[in-house]
Amino acid sequence: MTLSLVLQAIFAGVTNGIVYAFVGMGLSAIFKGSRVINAMQGEFSVIGAMTTVLLLTKSGWPYPAAILGGALAGALVGAFIEVAFVRFMAKKNASEDSFLLLTIGLALTLSASILFFIGRDGHLLPPLGGEGVLIILDAVIQFHALWLIAIGVAATLALRAFFHRTTVGLSMMAASIDADGAATTGINVARMRTFTFVLGGLLGALGGILVTPLIAVDYQLGLNLTLKGFAAAVLGGLTNPLGAAVGGITLGLVESLAIIGVSSSYKDVVAFSVLIIIMILMPQGILGRAGRRGG
Amino acid sequence: MGRNLLWIALALAIWAALPFIVPRNVADLLVFTGIYTVAGLGIGLLLGHCGIVNLAQATFYGLGAYASAYCTVTMGLPSISGFVVGAFISMTLAYVIGRPILRLTGYFLALGTLALSAIASALFFEWDWLTGGTLGIGGIPKLDLFGFVLDRPSRYYFFVWIVAFACMIAAHNLVDSRTGLMLRAMRDSSTAAAALSIDLQALRTRVFVVCALFGSLAGSLFAHHASFVSTQSFTVDRSISFLLIPVIGGATSIPGIVAGALFVTFLPELLSKLGDIHQILFGLALVAVVVLLPGGLMGAFGRLRSRLAARRIGHDG
Repeated sequence: MTLSLVLQAIFAGVTNGIVYAFVGMGLSAIFKGSRVINAMQGEFSVIGAMTTVLLLTKSGWPYPAAILGGALAGALVGAFIEVAFVRFMAKKNASEDSFLLLTIGLALTLSASILFFIGRDGHLLPPLGGEGVLIILDAVIQFHALWLIAIGVAATLALRAFFHRTTVGLSMMAASIDADGAATTGINVARMRTFTFVLGGLLGALGGILVTPLIAVDYQLGLNLTLKGFAAAVLGGLTNPLGAAVGGITLGLVESLAIIGVSSSYKDVVAFSVLIIIMILMPQGILGRAGRRGG
Repeated sequence: MGRNLLWIALALAIWAALPFIVPRNVADLLVFTGIYTVAGLGIGLLLGHCGIVNLAQATFYGLGAYASAYCTVTMGLPSISGFVVGAFISMTLAYVIGRPILRLTGYFLALGTLALSAIASALFFEWDWLTGGTLGIGGIPKLDLFGFVLDRPSRYYFFVWIVAFACMIAAHNLVDSRTGLMLRAMRDSSTAAAALSIDLQALRTRVFVVCALFGSLAGSLFAHHASFVSTQSFTVDRSISFLLIPVIGGATSIPGIVAGALFVTFLPELLSKLGDIHQILFGLALVAVVVLLPGGLMGAFGRLRSRLAARRIGHDG
């Protein structure tokens, strides 16, 4: 195990980890705001990436505009799901499990829709910052990976500022911590829940768009991303979207270091085993302070 | 009482006549309904009586199927050995994994079992010396009962459904037994049940092991029906569709499990006549059931019946 190999694995791990972090942050934001585990979080990524691909190749939009369009598509689908389904079920006091099943059903529907309307082929997006690479100690890093890391850090900081500094973010926090109390101070709790889904859809879509230059996106990618995103969120303590960022990077690192240690085909086995072990041994997540709810 | 017996006799007559009057492909689907009923019964017990969402049933289904395939094709042993080996491995694994993982609750347990299914499906793929990988294992012999070969769907139908009825009776007895009372106590108030010195952990593990046994049995039945097993049959998607059986039908009702199994086997087939759009419609049908019928089909049926009964009483009085 040479140094450059380890370095290469660390870069790959951080790159993948940021993608898991995006999906995990979205999942965690939705869980925090609505107590719904969103089993279709990975579908937001697929929708965002597919929309960007179509806008870029079929409609001929410039790349930045197509990315914006893809991210908005994720946000819109998030809003639609809250308004059309979650709101209705929340009114009837549906159980935790039925929300999980609802989102599983939606995930199946969306993945089948993509298969039906777009086809089974995988699609790639051009890398950000061109095809160039940076070489450090024989370890090769694509410029895209550097962009991904920079955008990931920026998004995490922006999310933190959003929850702590803006009125909407603070209202969302208040609505999730104490719905009745928030309603008394004039916060529209139902609208805040819609916003959490918009935020979740936006983060999921961004993750999907950013990963597509590295992995071809197809109709089946959603489930895998959901699982990895959930693992990231659980590692971070689930109710803490910023913890999900730490969780995602940890998961990515464990996965890619396992590849050098064991074999690349056992990547998912290692990732999901780590998820199970962490859930059992560290129920608060690796950060350990924010209380876990919902289980 | 006399009328009830008449209904039961009528239902039995229809059940026995069905494979002879329906076309072969429908008989084939009915075999699958029986297999899915067996797998779904275990998940129904966990969901309806322990509140556990088990998304790992394809793991045990796969273990049963691969045990049958490996024992009969690779080792050349009689068919019964596959059933026994599959059941033994599944129950042992369920016990060993169940002890720690069932400490989780709610969403965490649901996702824990989903992770388990993802691990198992990756291992089925990787261990191709055992499972044949994507190429699978073919040539699994049809079951042979004392010289009577169950080589047609109409013949296998009876065998599968007799096994399914036996499993239903076993599930019914389990719910009706001392264990069932403990389960009810745990579901209604786990704190009170623990105070009555019920070992919740052991109880949940026991039901998980029973669920794995049913899953493995269904897998062995599947292997002898399809004659060919490969990794595609034991993915996370399959675990999800197994979970749908009790969700759609109604987890606490045994007829509900059969209704759910009919739903997941027949609806995709009926919808597939509409072309490629059928998967979308299936997803939407599932969403509609979850949103509109929280107790599943049997819950909706029960509500309808009590409403009709109330109306009848209203007319009489």
